[in-house]
Amino acid sequence: MCDELAVHEHPVQLVVEDDLRRNRLTVFFRALLGIPHYIWIFLWSIGVFVVAIVNWLATLVTGTPPASLHRFMCAYVRYTLHVYAYVYLVANPYPGFVGEEGEYPVDVRLPAPGRQSRWTTLLRLPLVLPALILAITLGGTGGPVAVLRGRRRSGGGGGVLAAVCAFLGWFASLVRGRMPKGLRDAGAYGLGYSAQVLAYVLLVTDRYPSSDPTALLATVERPPQHPVHLVGDPEDLRRSRVTVFFRLPLAIPHLVWLVLWTVLAVLAGIVNWCATLFAGTPPAALHRFLSRYVRYTLHVYAFLYLAANPFPGFVGEPGRYPLDLRLPEPSRQNRWVTGFRIVLAIPAWFVNAVLGWALLIAAVLTWFVALVTGSAPWGLRNLSAYALRYGAQVNAYLYLLTDAYPHASPLEGAPPPEPLPAEAA
Amino acid sequence: MSRALARRAALLAVPAVLWSAAAWYLWQSRVPGSLQLPHLDSRAYFSGRDLHAAASFGRLQEWDWLLATVAQLVALTLYAWRGGRFARESAAGPLGTGMLLGMLGFALVWVAQLPASVLELWWQRRHQLSQTGYFTAVFGDWLALGGQFVFLCLTLAIVMGLARRLGERWWLPAAPAFVGLALLFAFVTPWLLGTHPLRRPDLLAVASRLERAEHVQHTPIVVQDVHDVTSLPNAEATGIGPSRRVVLWDTLVDGRFPTRELAVVIAHELGHLARNHIWKDVGWYALFAFPGAYAVARATRRRGGMGEPEAVPLSLLVVVVLGLLALPLQNAISRHMEAEADWMALRTTRDPAGATALFRRFVPTTLDEPSPSTWEYLLLENHPTIMQRIAMAQAWRRYATSTAQSP
Repeated sequence: MCDELAVHEHPVQLVVEDDLRRNRLTVFFRALLGIPHYIWIFLWSIGVFVVAIVNWLATLVTGTPPASLHRFMCAYVRYTLHVYAYVYLVANPYPGFVGEEGEYPVDVRLPAPGRQSRWTTLLRLPLVLPALILAITLGGTGGPVAVLRGRRRSGGGGGVLAAVCAFLGWFASLVRGRMPKGLRDAGAYGLGYSAQVLAYVLLVTDRYPSSDPTALLATVERPPQHPVHLVGDPEDLRRSRVTVFFRLPLAIPHLVWLVLWTVLAVLAGIVNWCATLFAGTPPAALHRFLSRYVRYTLHVYAFLYLAANPFPGFVGEPGRYPLDLRLPEPSRQNRWVTGFRIVLAIPAWFVNAVLGWALLIAAVLTWFVALVTGSAPWGLRNLSAYALRYGAQVNAYLYLLTDAYPHASPLEGAPPPEPLPAEAA
Repeated sequence: MSRALARRAALLAVPAVLWSAAAWYLWQSRVPGSLQLPHLDSRAYFSGRDLHAAASFGRLQEWDWLLATVAQLVALTLYAWRGGRFARESAAGPLGTGMLLGMLGFALVWVAQLPASVLELWWQRRHQLSQTGYFTAVFGDWLALGGQFVFLCLTLAIVMGLARRLGERWWLPAAPAFVGLALLFAFVTPWLLGTHPLRRPDLLAVASRLERAEHVQHTPIVVQDVHDVTSLPNAEATGIGPSRRVVLWDTLVDGRFPTRELAVVIAHELGHLARNHIWKDVGWYALFAFPGAYAVARATRRRGGMGEPEAVPLSLLVVVVLGLLALPLQNAISRHMEAEADWMALRTTRDPAGATALFRRFVPTTLDEPSPSTWEYLLLENHPTIMQRIAMAQAWRRYATSTAQSP
């Protein structure tokens, strides 16, 4: 396991030491409190734009970024992360203005200047485009990226996932004085990925950004295991080029079947809602039917979006697909939560919608890579698995398979500890 | 002759007799059996330039068809040989795996035929017969594969489901099931076309008169917009029962054809409906479906039968080969019905000059060869040739005159 982590370890490492507590007053005015930082980022970005060109030319010539320029870029990457972490409620304290290392609860570890391939340096801008598109969906993008995109402005590079998590977290933090862990983790993940993209653009590293949530949030504690979680073979990265090329048309029969099944599932869901509201527990037959439906949906989307390789079956059978879903047995559910299920699901829908976009982008990128290499990139596969898992949790919550709210954390939940032999006895 | 052999012969003879009787019934036509088409010289009707342009256009089309067919056969032969390996790309059960193998077979044929498709498009664009861009055509075809896959999956679900239950006798219930699907498809097709009502009062008046004459009153005449894709003029009769209608492409009613010639087109399509040609189409399909399904069942026996996914690649090859073998016969049947529709149009409009003018206009507008080569006629022509159609107009004139003069 350690070896695996070492293999996937990225030189740009996110460090999260946030305790989730939030000051209600600063949360309420968070966007306004960020104004001095927006101005400072804007000014700094103009400088970075100029320095980036010099740094690029120097790296092209010498093969290594000059140390002073590298330090300047590192400070900028770190500073933008701090600011976005603050504005997006991923961290609580007001950040400093110089990007100090190790001073902020959401920080980034950056590499020392090292040799970089001249080819990837020369082609850095076109190479970064796919990662940039993903970063726009997931996290924040710094000022120079906006400048490079021909829009001379800074600050407003908010990624959609981080922004939606901040929006939802704003209400939660105001009420509870704490940021929900799932939303914080999702926001941190988006910002961490964007920091990697920025570091790549500014030649801090020549390692391509990785969207693997497990690697990005290596310093974050895993949440407890959700009753709806993924099982199967996470190492299944092989992709058949033929089925990849024809993936969309191949999935169409499944999509037609899914639409037909969805009509029945919605009807069954309404009956299940009435029955659960009355009896407190979903009827076993409906639970089984809807479990199959939710699992089938996951299989189809995993196939369509290239998160898995084989053609799935048509009945949502458990244990047959490499990206499978574990669902709970029917159990008692809180009637209040059951009664207001649709309303309660609305925030989760927002997050799910953004993750749906991320899934789509990941699929398009995977399509090209898999056609060439015959395998899916590890990071994109895990991002897809995260989006699919969250979608399945939302579905399971809506169809009353569980009353556990979907957990937005990109990290797969940790299974409960095995009871010690003495305790078991 | 042993008793078993006699019984087997009787078992074969009964369906053969029934098949022949049904075929004879479906072959019945209003075109008089004694009608002799005069031999006409195409040079008397078309300029040398038109004939040269049509011949030049047709030549590459023929080669293109040959290329596409060879590519299809090669791709399917290779796929029948090695395609079973793709079963490992499936986590579905036998039916789902069979569907995947079927779809991949179609997909590979699409890839193999792509050069021929692009060549055909280039040729049509060069002759201003198509406006479709290359990207739109290729990408659209790629997406359209999805629609084909849905029908293929449905077909394979029926075949494999029955084969897993009934073994080798699956073809007995499968053939009627396919006929039922063909009927359903014939019924719903008009609603899938995306048409709008004809708005030309002159043509509506003509159509109303022709409908009364052919006893197919209240048949909607609708227009399908295709001018973004092609400049070719065309029309079709479609649907059965309440869904039947005549569809005119907007390229036909864009002013290039005078009302008199359009009346012949409408009368021809109404003739199809009056003579129940859609029903007859389904009838012929049924006659081919039984022996075809039986042949597939026999051919896939060594691969474990159609209940096994590994038999699917071979079954695709068998279906395509059978289709190619049956092509001359199918084209002959189609030409026979088209000739009857022409005859109906002549009887209704009583305007052989209008029909002749229409057919003459087809050559410069569609670049159809007036007298194609024999092999092209047998394999590719599902309508009578232009010269045959003009000859029929002449023959009708003589026939009408002789029947009017006869006591």
